[in-house]
Amino acid sequence: MVDRDDAGRLRKHASARPQGDAPARRDVLKRIAAVAGTAPLAPALIATATQAAAQPAAPAPAAPPLDSGYQSLGPDEAAFVEALVNVMCPADHLTPNGVDCGLAVFIDRQLAGGFGQGERLYMQGPWRKGKPQLGYQLPLTPEEFFKAGIAAANAACKAHYAKPFFALAPGDADAFLKEIATGKVSDPRVSLGLWFSELVYPLFTQACFADPIYGGNRDKIFWRMVGYPGLPATHRNDMVEFRGKPFPGAKHPKSIADFS
Amino acid sequence: MATRLAKKTVVIVGGGLTAALVARELTGKGTDVLVLERGHDRRNGPESTLPNQRDELRWDVHAGLGQDWAVETYTVRHGTKDEALPARRLGAFLPGMGLGGAASHWNGFTWRWSEYDPELRTRFEGRYGKQAIPADLLIQDWGVTYAEMEPYHHLFEKLYGISGKAGNIKGALQPGGNPFEAPRRDEYPQPPLEPTEAGLIFKAACEKLGHKPFIAPSGNSSGAYTNPDGMRLAPCQYCGHCEKFICEAQAKATPETLLYPVLMGRPNFEIRLRCHVLGIDYDGQAKRATGVRYVDRVTGEEYEQPADVVVLCAFTMTNTRLLLMAGIGEPYDPATGAGVVGRNFCYQTNSAANVFVKDRWINPFLASGSTGVTIDEFNNDNFDHAGLGFLGGAGISANLTNGRPIGNRRVPPGTPQWGTQWKQANADWYAHSFSLQAQGTSYPHRENYLSLDPTWRDAYGQPLLRLTFDWRDNDVKMSAYCSQKINEIANAMDATVVAPATARKSPFDTRIYQSTHTTGGTPMGVDPHTSVVSRHLQHWDAENLFVVGASVFPHNAGYNPTGVLAALALRLGDDLTGYVERPRRL
Repeated sequence: MVDRDDAGRLRKHASARPQGDAPARRDVLKRIAAVAGTAPLAPALIATATQAAAQPAAPAPAAPPLDSGYQSLGPDEAAFVEALVNVMCPADHLTPNGVDCGLAVFIDRQLAGGFGQGERLYMQGPWRKGKPQLGYQLPLTPEEFFKAGIAAANAACKAHYAKPFFALAPGDADAFLKEIATGKVSDPRVSLGLWFSELVYPLFTQACFADPIYGGNRDKIFWRMVGYPGLPATHRNDMVEFRGKPFPGAKHPKSIADFS
Repeated sequence: MATRLAKKTVVIVGGGLTAALVARELTGKGTDVLVLERGHDRRNGPESTLPNQRDELRWDVHAGLGQDWAVETYTVRHGTKDEALPARRLGAFLPGMGLGGAASHWNGFTWRWSEYDPELRTRFEGRYGKQAIPADLLIQDWGVTYAEMEPYHHLFEKLYGISGKAGNIKGALQPGGNPFEAPRRDEYPQPPLEPTEAGLIFKAACEKLGHKPFIAPSGNSSGAYTNPDGMRLAPCQYCGHCEKFICEAQAKATPETLLYPVLMGRPNFEIRLRCHVLGIDYDGQAKRATGVRYVDRVTGEEYEQPADVVVLCAFTMTNTRLLLMAGIGEPYDPATGAGVVGRNFCYQTNSAANVFVKDRWINPFLASGSTGVTIDEFNNDNFDHAGLGFLGGAGISANLTNGRPIGNRRVPPGTPQWGTQWKQANADWYAHSFSLQAQGTSYPHRENYLSLDPTWRDAYGQPLLRLTFDWRDNDVKMSAYCSQKINEIANAMDATVVAPATARKSPFDTRIYQSTHTTGGTPMGVDPHTSVVSRHLQHWDAENLFVVGASVFPHNAGYNPTGVLAALALRLGDDLTGYVERPRRL
């Protein structure tokens, strides 16, 4: 119970972190430490944890939040992905940072689920290389390819900046991602440009705009940002009434969970 | 060992639109029909009910209704000298899977093609001279005329309750309709859908330029409708979840909404679901198909199903593959031009511009799958091609079909790919932008064809189909011309920003969705040296084997294929009724 409460509070604490503060990996390691009770913690966190432990157990929630914790990503991978989504989606006047929007959880769930495991992907050999227009040709599941790319990107990052990606200052991280996206970062084994454009970037935009049931787009924040009203989308009358006019429902989108 | 089953009169491969139409005619006249469909009936699943029907990630991004590429995909190469590779997650097009087939997840565009389309070679040679068609374009007449197909178009539009505005009734042009429309006997069964704001902007710009825009004919029902079989459509909700989705409101005309429920009530109709056809049994001596073999995916057992008549109603690609695997008809050879099976494979040559209009509320989520406003001035041979250096053209439209936010956001050129500026651009333009599309002709080229892949196999151990396809010279020139026309219209819109259309160019990209309108491979015609089936869709090398679908089109027009393949299927149903009574070469 206590662990669950702590995990929840620590997650909220991370949400309140000012923009551009500590690298993402620290957050991951702190959370692990809080649960395991080993690694050193920042004083504020120790206080929180101690307080929680000392108090009588509050009525427990029925279950931990489904959108916390990782299924596929290990600590270093999670640190990479959290840094990635926070660079690509910084906290600003439009949304909280990427982690707090659920983007890292979305990516983790996709990698752990059918997509990441190669569902609907033709995986029979032989394996040959060809033009990019003929598509993905590796005997790796998307999850494996994603993780091979993380390792390659981190190696390239260390060569450039003498530290792993999660430890870069936000400006450097953004610049490094741009280099990857434009195919300027080479790795002897992984085509990082294709890795980014065909796997990482689509997962990022899906994390932002998919139904929140998948863990991203938390609180429909991206739907509100653009004005997508979501469900139920029975617009027979709206089609005429709001043609060419602002649509009121766009400010209050509804998702699958709202109708489940 | 396969278990041999009791003989059926007619067995149909594939449970999609053409199968339902053929079966409607046959069972209505007393002939027993068996349909074998590899997928299942999805009418009560999450794909057909709220709230999960509205799941863009599952049904659109992950193509949850389409053919499972892990089971069967295609290999692709751009030319005969290239090595093909399997498209491991094909993005370009989306064959169906399940009752209704690709006609379940269609958008609803329902065209009659140009009156001259079935006689295209005659048309071009008559208008531009005998030398007009380059030697590498295999343009040929279909062996059927529009006038012969008109009664079947008429019936299909009634069955499907098509919404539209006639442009040409018995030769008299109708205001508000398409002036290039082939002559119809009467008005559409239902009035047209409501246009979108994008459609109205497009319409005004087209009128400024002197074009004649019209609301495209649609299988999304503009009102409540009861068809001649007593089946009902509900009014369209403009929910923006048509293509790649199943309509939960029974407002989109589909086989499983309008046709299969009637068939399933007939004692002489049977459909076996989750039954995957492995092949056609062919007696080469007698030149007859004796039946088909299939795996029941539920029991895991293999069966041999004898039949008097076999009809291939599978997706374009599968019709061709089944013939190639059975060795019925000579495979096409691009080196010599000999052989026929696999030839005339065509696609759809598209391009698009994005338009951003700051002070107009486009509200892209208020849309149906085919709420389009279109012009046909630059489609097919509706304009003079003398001196242009290409043949064909494109319908140009503002078809705003949805505002699903993963795949259908537009940001102005130069917007960063992520970060605050990216988010701001999405926030600024999501509700204030739309695209204009050219849906263009694809004419048969001697090097574009289908064959069996020598290397890769499907989950049943059978060879994958190989596409040899690329955008050839005629397509690229046509696309450049029509893209320029799109841009002229876009520039007449007082738009804040226009991201101009650029021509389709080689190489064909398998990763990006373009259109599910693949056509050809088993072309129809009057000459057995250039066609697989006759003008009655009867196989030249097996009198009791028939093929229908877009696979019989000798070329693809700047229109969606559904109207034409449906008319051909209804006509085949009539032909087969006569054939079953008195088997013969039709």
